[in-house]
Amino acid sequence: MNFLIAQAPATPPLNFWNGDNATAGLWIKIIIGLVLGFALMIGLLFAPTRMRRPIVVTFTFLAGLFWMVQWLWPRAGEGVTEPTNATEGVALWLKDALPVVTDFANILTAFLLGLGIYSLVSIHGKRLIKKQTDWVFSGILLLSIVIMMIFGYADWLTRLGEGAAKVELVPGFWNRGRDLLFDGMLQQMDAAMFSLIAFFILSAAYRAFRIRSIESTILLSTALIVMISIMGAIVFMLDSAAAPVSNNLKLSEIAGWITGSLQTPAIRAINFGVGVGALAMGIRLWLSLDRGGVSG
Amino acid sequence: MADLAQEERTFGEKLQSLPRQVLYLILIVVISASVIASKFAGPALVLPNKPGNNAIEFYATVMNVPEGSTVAIQSDWTNSTRGESAGQLESLLRILMRRNVKFMVYSLADPQAPQVARDTIARITLERKLKGEREYKRWDDWISLGFFPNGEGTAKSIQSDIRKAFKGKRDVSPEGPRDVYQSPVLKNIQTLDDLGLYINITASKTIDVLIERLKFKPARFGDFEVKNKLGSMCTGVMGPETVNYYSAGLLFGLVVGLNGVVEMETLMENGVNWPEGKKTVEYAKDKQLVVPGWTGKQNYARGTSYYFALHTGMALLILAVLAGNIGMWLARSGKGKNA
Amino acid sequence: MDFTWIKLTIGAIATIGLYSVLYRENKFYRLIEHIYLGLAAGWSITALWTESLKSTWWDKMVGTPTASGQPGTPGYWAYILLLPIGLMAYFVFSRKNNWVSRIPIGIILGLWAGQQADAWSKKFLPQIAASMKPIIPNDAFIVPAGTGPTPGSLYVSQAVTNIIFLVTLLSVLSYFLFSFELKTRFMKGMTTTGRWLMMIGFGAIFGNTVMTRFTLLIDRMYFIWIEWLITGTFKM
Repeated sequence: MNFLIAQAPATPPLNFWNGDNATAGLWIKIIIGLVLGFALMIGLLFAPTRMRRPIVVTFTFLAGLFWMVQWLWPRAGEGVTEPTNATEGVALWLKDALPVVTDFANILTAFLLGLGIYSLVSIHGKRLIKKQTDWVFSGILLLSIVIMMIFGYADWLTRLGEGAAKVELVPGFWNRGRDLLFDGMLQQMDAAMFSLIAFFILSAAYRAFRIRSIESTILLSTALIVMISIMGAIVFMLDSAAAPVSNNLKLSEIAGWITGSLQTPAIRAINFGVGVGALAMGIRLWLSLDRGGVSG
Repeated sequence: MADLAQEERTFGEKLQSLPRQVLYLILIVVISASVIASKFAGPALVLPNKPGNNAIEFYATVMNVPEGSTVAIQSDWTNSTRGESAGQLESLLRILMRRNVKFMVYSLADPQAPQVARDTIARITLERKLKGEREYKRWDDWISLGFFPNGEGTAKSIQSDIRKAFKGKRDVSPEGPRDVYQSPVLKNIQTLDDLGLYINITASKTIDVLIERLKFKPARFGDFEVKNKLGSMCTGVMGPETVNYYSAGLLFGLVVGLNGVVEMETLMENGVNWPEGKKTVEYAKDKQLVVPGWTGKQNYARGTSYYFALHTGMALLILAVLAGNIGMWLARSGKGKNA
Repeated sequence: MDFTWIKLTIGAIATIGLYSVLYRENKFYRLIEHIYLGLAAGWSITALWTESLKSTWWDKMVGTPTASGQPGTPGYWAYILLLPIGLMAYFVFSRKNNWVSRIPIGIILGLWAGQQADAWSKKFLPQIAASMKPIIPNDAFIVPAGTGPTPGSLYVSQAVTNIIFLVTLLSVLSYFLFSFELKTRFMKGMTTTGRWLMMIGFGAIFGNTVMTRFTLLIDRMYFIWIEWLITGTFKM
């Protein structure tokens, strides 16, 4: 596992796991690694049915085991870099391995995020090719993907070299294009799309928010107090009116009391319940106790 | 027939069944008018706001971070919550830049977030430039570390060894892309506790990821005591849940939603227990604590511009709920017939 | 017509296009919606590479040169193995070999699951500790609002508040955790109270959600009226 040295601060010595940048030796190792990786993948496709579950269970368990051990294993003392016993050796190895495991997690998650995009492209690609209903829109969607990719990547390339500072002062064609697509279109659409919910909330509150039971009365009253307490001008007026009588009757004090004494413990208890659920789910997933889960 | 049915409906029933397009139109008109009124009324429509302890503590802590230290900003929002999150980041950036505090920015939530954060930084940098203030420079004063798709693992890595967590990341320097650890921003950061503060601006539950993984030692900035270096600026939706973390001492301070932005802008203008402020913002928990503001500078900004419209919008929603309920009572009691 | 105005105008047209769905579903909305999805997907592909994979995966695999072009950081070939493992996830679309996709998904879920015990303790132990509030008073009846508590003293009003805090916490917890049939009247009453008190939490969430959603709309109206029309177009 010497490749963990990838994280070491100084330039590490060359060994089996690494190679100098842009050398034939490193590229040959990478290509061999790639071939072996694909061979493993293809080999898995031919795995017997009864072996499938154990394979998935093993990968899931080992992935979780790293973090469990990392949590439970005694830490090496602060500033210790050379182990004096086996426990410290394992502790230091775990510390060295942590950023590499994190790298792997980041990289795999990035590949998994591509699944959604693949699905989107696949659905709209099929619709375009088969000229199904709204195929023109699908074509526009795919075109938008390509244009954004080109401008996004080209813009990034212009910022890589020494000219990066110049780009900020005098943006070029690609920078302006990216700016137009990202800031001018995508971000404005993002903001507009999510702001539509305000209309639906108003409509839903008007139609469905009725005082019909104790529960709905409590919910509505709390929502009302919270909303009014957000309106600073109203709070100011009501506080000014209550001040001569008692400071404890100020709306800001009442709202603060509800937040601290009722809202917080209620949400803490809900959160606690969800947390226990998440912990139980985590253990079940790690040990593949759910037959319908990832292990099949 | 439809007309006849319409005529037979009682006032109570009518009050409950306004067409949705009418409701939408009223909402657009009310919000538009309020936004335009705020623009033209200017300072005359700066509505009062009483900052809560959570916002005061956030502001006081950020104002006490030593000059030249580095703050980690985990910016986990896109323009889908621009109304709240942009104002939060803008107010934070104004404070950090005025106080010469360095910062690094990255996201654990969304591939769009780093670019959105860089655009916000560019906006505030331009604002300062136009006012003749010192230009905040990428690489020397701030760096961008990009996007980390696996937030859970990355937070663990930051906790374990911050010198290795961002290994391999490069950012734009005047000489081209360089290893981020060579930047003045990260050069002196050896452990998590070397960070001035760690602030999460989020539209989702990423604060949970941090609370579950980061553990800061208590610190002192001169006379100012900081029990926890983790702070949060979250959207209103995430507010109630995050208030719970704040009240359990897991956050040094908390800014919630648009109201939080207005609180920050009020504090920037008036300080805390600060006699020189236009209005006195009292911090009842510690009356000895005095935190100055920047009266007269660009403090009132996005939050203040939106605040009046928030009042009218909320009032409209309350009226709509009342109308629906009154309609229901009238319809049930049989009153309002042929009204 | 400067670049900034063109940018603002395109943004305004896009916003109006998306808002047109409020009247009814139409082709203009569908067009903008598809452009939006396309741009978002396109940016995600680019950003996953430029903001993440390039430095986290590629540079670590092939190494990086020095400023003068000489070999700098060495590359670690084993990083290439993540490509086929990541690609296994795409078998999720295959009927025959669907199970292979569970390997990378299982790894990611395993990595998440393995952290849960540690995460739970860091998140909830401080919350449990913060919930252990004193309930026996040792000072005057009421703490005046707007003043801080005196260290070491517990007013009667604070003690009552703390009791309410604990009752709320425990009753909501009992409603949430005891999903089986409860036989004692005390426990039934406790869960009923819990249900009512839980509504306070939901009410607060609703109130705050309204703030967020309305703010997003205010932001859009600000963009249309102020940024685009008044400042951008009429330069007022």
